Amino acid sequence: MTPTKGLRRPRLTALAGLAAVVGPGLLAGLSDDDPAGITTYSVLGTDYGYTFLWVLAVSTIALVLFQDLGARIGVVTGQGLAGLIRQRYGARAGVLSITALFVANVGTTTAEFAGIAAGGQIFGIPRVISVPVAAVLVSLLVLRGGFRRVERVLLALSAVFIAYVGAGLLAGPDWGAALHGLVVPTLPTSSDAILICTATLGTTLAPWGLAFIQSYSVDKKLTSHHLGLLRIDVITGAVLTGVIGFFVVISCAATLHARGISITDASDAAVALEPLAGRVATELFAFGLIGAALLAASILPLSTAYSVSDIAGRPAALDDSFRDAPLFYASFGAVTVVGAGLVLIPGISLVPILVGTQVINAVLLLPLLAYMSGIARDRKLMGDYAAGRAVSSTYLVVIALITICILALGVLSLPR
Amino acid sequence: MATGAELPPRRSRVAAASRFLGVRRELGTSLVSVAGLVGRPVRGRGGELVGRLADVVVRSEAGYPAVAGFVVRIGPRRAWVHAQDVAGVEQGQLRLLSSRFDLQDVVRRPGEIQLVADVIDHQLVDVDGVQVVRAADLYLAAPGETWRLVGVDVSLVSFLRRALPGRPGRRPSPGRVLDWAGVHPFGIIGGPVRLSRPNSRVHRLRPAEMADLLADLGRAERRELLAALDTDAAADALEEMNATDVLAVLRDAPVERAAELLASMERDEAADALRDLPDDEREDVLRAMHDESARELRTLLTYEEETAGGVMTSGMVLVGSTATVGDAVTALQAAARHPDQPAEVVVVDQEGRLLDDVSVLELLGVDPGRPIAELVGPPWPVTVRPGAGLRDVVSTMTDNRGSSILVVDEQERPVGRILADDVIDALTRRDDRRWPWQRWIGTSS
Repeated sequence: MTPTKGLRRPRLTALAGLAAVVGPGLLAGLSDDDPAGITTYSVLGTDYGYTFLWVLAVSTIALVLFQDLGARIGVVTGQGLAGLIRQRYGARAGVLSITALFVANVGTTTAEFAGIAAGGQIFGIPRVISVPVAAVLVSLLVLRGGFRRVERVLLALSAVFIAYVGAGLLAGPDWGAALHGLVVPTLPTSSDAILICTATLGTTLAPWGLAFIQSYSVDKKLTSHHLGLLRIDVITGAVLTGVIGFFVVISCAATLHARGISITDASDAAVALEPLAGRVATELFAFGLIGAALLAASILPLSTAYSVSDIAGRPAALDDSFRDAPLFYASFGAVTVVGAGLVLIPGISLVPILVGTQVINAVLLLPLLAYMSGIARDRKLMGDYAAGRAVSSTYLVVIALITICILALGVLSLPR
Repeated sequence: MATGAELPPRRSRVAAASRFLGVRRELGTSLVSVAGLVGRPVRGRGGELVGRLADVVVRSEAGYPAVAGFVVRIGPRRAWVHAQDVAGVEQGQLRLLSSRFDLQDVVRRPGEIQLVADVIDHQLVDVDGVQVVRAADLYLAAPGETWRLVGVDVSLVSFLRRALPGRPGRRPSPGRVLDWAGVHPFGIIGGPVRLSRPNSRVHRLRPAEMADLLADLGRAERRELLAALDTDAAADALEEMNATDVLAVLRDAPVERAAELLASMERDEAADALRDLPDDEREDVLRAMHDESARELRTLLTYEEETAGGVMTSGMVLVGSTATVGDAVTALQAAARHPDQPAEVVVVDQEGRLLDDVSVLELLGVDPGRPIAELVGPPWPVTVRPGAGLRDVVSTMTDNRGSSILVVDEQERPVGRILADDVIDALTRRDDRRWPWQRWIGTSS
């Protein structure tokens, strides 16, 4: 044993404890900054400058609240979200949730692989190479890697997000305007503005992220002793997600918005950055895009596999072998293969798939949040950790807010 | 009980299901799906609608429990209908003999299981198949006069089927049906009573199987199952678990129980688990422990994890050089209660220094009256120091082709023994901490 040295030891122990817990919050949070998220933030910055940065701040707060709740439910009950929905709300709710979740996750995975394809093209790599390589890489990592290893690699992967901070700094933003936009809410008035604000909320708080954080806390065998450290992990993850979003928005606001350029997706943003902020900014942006897509493309099939095996009543863990958990690995494979396959079909338009996915995610989010707050209040499931009145009403306020956004989105999206 | 087998083989699921289907054919269409009954009309004698079915309650008893009654929703109330007052249970509805009701709200009583609230869609342990499952549906049958709970449907198809609206959603679809007698439910008031019956099948599970089940269960369910096991069985299961699971179980249990479990585990396994605990919690657990166990564990804890001292077990059979062969045999027999004890006896001199490691084979057929010192001789035991690294331990062990090596201190006094399986455990643990590329290319350092 190493001898105890004055004050240093307690701090080291605390750090070691944190290192053991860290993961669920960081991974679930950061993977929300996937290509779909980056695209949304880019459009938000490009079209509206710094005006709606406060929407990002609000989304981040909602993310903290519900990721924290998801992690807590996972730790206290030792069960995944899908299984608990089945147990608490019955078979119909369970089947509908898992079906929607599965379809939406396949769609989102498609979006991740599309992001990898787009990011690869910036570096001159054709999609027929980048997408299969990414799919194999991700599957090998998760299927052959083993639990602790996967986590470390994924966390290392998320370091690419620093790229966005770099791109944001290179863009030379107007910090005063950014701060103003962040703290002073300006209500969106045009329908396009409402659309992009809702999309920002929707892309930050994703159903699969909520399902993932809970399943992953269960798989990590965290106990109630870890709740304090886990909260640090969750808050760090969510805040980092917000910070990265912030830098994406300001890099687009300072360059593309200032010049009146408009874009349709994140790789447009990367390309458009070149004449304004230099080739390095473009490459940083594209690099971040690929890294983000890889991270999310690992987490999405995993989140789906956890949910499917959990609801089917065959709890599975990353440590299980294929023989022990065929359903787990079959779901993982199905999501990856379909997601990557759709991107590779020549001549296919991904737009309907991506829009459809966003709609399912938005519609699924509401019942999922309602189920979560219901489970949080349930004394039978949560025991001493059941949410009190004050906390529950906070959840309800957030749910009401999101409902308004989604309804507004629904009304505005109707064909006119 | 339908099966008379003492210990059903692990993969008897298909056989059980087909046996069950055979029964089902005999029963004709009389199998009733509990999930399909929920929300169905409850009608009085004249066919008038009285209320809607909310739950089916059975007695918590061995074999196939009889239906005790039904919970019926009448307006805002949940009323109790005794099984005797029911004329017929059908898939579509419940017919009553009379319209007598206990209009007081139903209270949960010990020894009763509310099938919808407690069992359907909850986790169960399938004891025969040794797995955690969720109940997709429960089937009732009336082989005699009384309705009994006979089977649990755990198939995915039945779960999906229940999402369908109308009649198709209610029709029994026995796919993978488990015999109720071979299932252990959770969260039932008075539930552990059922478990603690000595002939309960749960007690016949092997420790490794129990470990798998405990790792798969939710927290409340795991706690319940663990509480129902006696300390030795629980400790055996803990030894089979991986480090994270052990840690989760120990930290989840009250300190006294954790101490009890650790004291019953193999010393080296217990020390490993203690090493993973934060300092203050480790201290709490050790303080709650019996003095002797705590002292031994504290000694083991002074060694670094990846050294001979860290992987050895302190349990050895020691005899002095003045002892007889008979004494050695008696000591070995006394120690044989622990399954992990190697069949060797360590002979030491008056100062406690190692003389030899005598195997049971050498003791066979030797006159019990002979002094053991006469058996001391080559081949001499292979030893390492407690501070030796894992690598040295591995090479010493592979060089000598023995099943175990002894750990001795500076004064040549034996302090522990390293078995081959301890080394495997340690190597596996270390492998878990590596980065993927290290494992993929098989780096050996």
